[in-house]
Amino acid sequence: MPDRSHPPLIHNIGQLILPLPELIHLDNGIPVYVTNMGTQDVIRLEIVYRAGRPFEQKQLASRATAAMLKEGTRQHDAAAIAETIDFYGASLSQPFNLDTGNLVLYSLSRHFESVLPLFTEMLDSPVFPEDELRAFVKRNKKSLKTDLAKTDVVAYRTVTEKVFGEDHPYGYNSTLETYEELGREDLVAHFERCYGIDNCTVFLSGRITDSVIRALNAQIGQLERTGRPESCSMAVHAPARGYNYIPHPDSVQTAIRIGRRVFSRHHPDYPAFFVLNTILGGYFGSRLMTNIREDKGYTYNIYSSLDVMRNDGAFYIGTEVGNEFVEDTLHQIRLELKSLIEHPVEEEELTMVRNYLMGNFLSMLDGPFNVGEVVRTMVGDDLPFSFFSTLVESVNTVEAETLQRLAVEYLQPEEQWEVIVGTRQGS
Amino acid sequence: MIQFSRFELDNGLKILVHRDESTPMAAVNVLYNVGSRDESPERTGFAHLFEHLMFGGSANVPDFDEPIQLAGGENNAFTNNDITNFYDVLPAENLETAFWLESDRMLSLNFDEQVLDVQRKVVVEEFKESCLNQPYGDAWHHLSDMAYKVHPYRWPTIGKVPKHVEDATMDDVKDFYFKYYRPNNAILVVAGSVDPDEVYALAQKWFGEIPKGEVPLRRLPSEPPQKRLEKRISESSNIPTDALYLAFHIPDRLHPDYYAADLLSDILCNGPSSRLYRRLLKQEHLFAAIDCYVTGSIDPGLLIIEGRPSEGISLEKAEAAIWRVLEELKAEGVSERELQKIKNKAESNLTFSELNVLNKAINLAFYELLGNAALINEENFHYQRVNADDIQRLARTVLTEDNCSQLYYRCKEGTVEEV
Repeated sequence: MPDRSHPPLIHNIGQLILPLPELIHLDNGIPVYVTNMGTQDVIRLEIVYRAGRPFEQKQLASRATAAMLKEGTRQHDAAAIAETIDFYGASLSQPFNLDTGNLVLYSLSRHFESVLPLFTEMLDSPVFPEDELRAFVKRNKKSLKTDLAKTDVVAYRTVTEKVFGEDHPYGYNSTLETYEELGREDLVAHFERCYGIDNCTVFLSGRITDSVIRALNAQIGQLERTGRPESCSMAVHAPARGYNYIPHPDSVQTAIRIGRRVFSRHHPDYPAFFVLNTILGGYFGSRLMTNIREDKGYTYNIYSSLDVMRNDGAFYIGTEVGNEFVEDTLHQIRLELKSLIEHPVEEEELTMVRNYLMGNFLSMLDGPFNVGEVVRTMVGDDLPFSFFSTLVESVNTVEAETLQRLAVEYLQPEEQWEVIVGTRQGS
Repeated sequence: MIQFSRFELDNGLKILVHRDESTPMAAVNVLYNVGSRDESPERTGFAHLFEHLMFGGSANVPDFDEPIQLAGGENNAFTNNDITNFYDVLPAENLETAFWLESDRMLSLNFDEQVLDVQRKVVVEEFKESCLNQPYGDAWHHLSDMAYKVHPYRWPTIGKVPKHVEDATMDDVKDFYFKYYRPNNAILVVAGSVDPDEVYALAQKWFGEIPKGEVPLRRLPSEPPQKRLEKRISESSNIPTDALYLAFHIPDRLHPDYYAADLLSDILCNGPSSRLYRRLLKQEHLFAAIDCYVTGSIDPGLLIIEGRPSEGISLEKAEAAIWRVLEELKAEGVSERELQKIKNKAESNLTFSELNVLNKAINLAFYELLGNAALINEENFHYQRVNADDIQRLARTVLTEDNCSQLYYRCKEGTVEEV
């Protein structure tokens, strides 16, 4: 019979080394980062253009342009594209990213070369058909209406808008009007300005053979259009703090978002703040979760989050709580922030967070697609691949006093934006 | 091909091991053969509440999450109609920590009033967040209530009403634990960078002493065939836009026709070239959103079509358009190319699902519960074997008005603010 009172020994995770991708250049100069690993015969191909919001001349143009790439090319209409991609069991996806326009293809290796020409066509000669755009606008207006009925969505939209400002590329929100004002010419212009071979990077992961690379070169390597616009000004003029209550009648829960502007991954405080955020609300054992869910039972979920973009970042706490718990939840959140400001984190808690994050890093290196995503993040943010080991190192060595210094600097309760959406205003 | 070995302990605990050396992680999955279908109609939502209580500590583990996090891992669980499933994913060298934790809560859960009190509140907030505070969040309450009259699938896993959760007592908790959370009612799967012999030794060490229990025999009433269309309209000023749901009974998970029913739902609405999406959303612009899926439950489940009509399109007109597509499928069947397309998609889905070690562990446990984990490697065979006649036959028997429950969400005129 085992001695249950003695838990099994916990082993520290050994080395965490990011498998470096191979960098090749296609005939037309497009850089391709290849992560060749894994046991399944599958491929993920992603092309990333610097074509997000910072490059827009009209709001929503970047998202609409990326979304409409698959809605028709000079050679194939939307239906034919959809049918071919589906027929080969492949799929297209477009990860949400404010800085870029992305198109991702997932395919079984044996069908990859059958779908690649169509994928290339979407990057080469999309036609942005007027009727498809009108339908896109109509669908998006409708789903926006649905979203605006959800307190959590309204709260998220509001806090990001407050933090960056309502006209800032990272802050503005879609509205029925901005959708309505989108014209085909806006998409064409955005495409022609931004979707150049000198403005993109390709990421390949999975089982990548020479034949896959040859096919890629024969297709994407032959694209010719150039286009590489300057980003607009990313200066932020929004007030650094404030309070905003948005009534939402009849809602049985109230959504709370509390946060502020922080920084991108380039900032020297990023690695330690990443740890601080985890302690506060970045994992199940976090202080917010332990106090407000596991001790008080006010909510199903509470978290804090660090959203980083290429040029900036936002930190916010989010939760939906029963209306009767709003006041005390706000009070408890402020207490948790103050506690991080006033007291150094104890070694025991810090060890737990370090170990938890090490396991997290290990999962980030598990399998070709996960590694490929780390590679894409580093390249996309112009960070060296050594950033990964820097981050790992910081997590392992960060000191309680550094965390406290960051808490003093960034987590002062009165220096946050507070957004409350629901039937209870809080105080 | 997912290879695995299988052991069984004297206390009836089944153990499956899948070795995958390509990952540094290990997934430990414990499936308990109990779900919301095993609840009493007066205490619905209990299996799910109980899932929460399993994290409330056990004799030697004051806090379940802490040691997992210390070991660099994550853990979670889910409950559905059929099962309650717990999992831990952690660096393979810390595998034993998961054995210690999972075995301790199977052996001696703390029956802590304070934990019960907090988790009742948490689950009530979850109920609000997922059902009451979301537009259409109570759709599943309506649909299960219409489609099932006698089978316990007639209430949703979250529970019929929050009151049932609020009323749960410590006696209920103890009773449920000793009935269902026994080794002979569980399946343990370990997948990842692990040695099967070592796993067996660990299982013997940590789970071997847990006594088996008397698991009640499951005697669920089978749902008689639906005889006529069920209709319900939910009118409210709190929903942003109209929506409709159609639910059709389909065969159980082990029925040979299950695969044809699943492919039927794919033909209707999986992927941008599927019929409902292409025809009604992209070409005719009648819908702003449309989807179709099967529930995949062990007992006979449902094929659900749900959609939100475009601005200015009535629910009646939108529904008629869906029926037009269904009738055409019933009359004309599918072409060879369309059939091949959905089979390719099915194969692709299966391959991609095998990329993730946790997915593999959960699936192995589920197939073992269905009768034999080896079924996991036969899935593609079953999908590829479906022919065009099967699809048409299923379409004709399943997609009928008599077999349908219809739910409309209608916005009350003039009460929704324009944004």
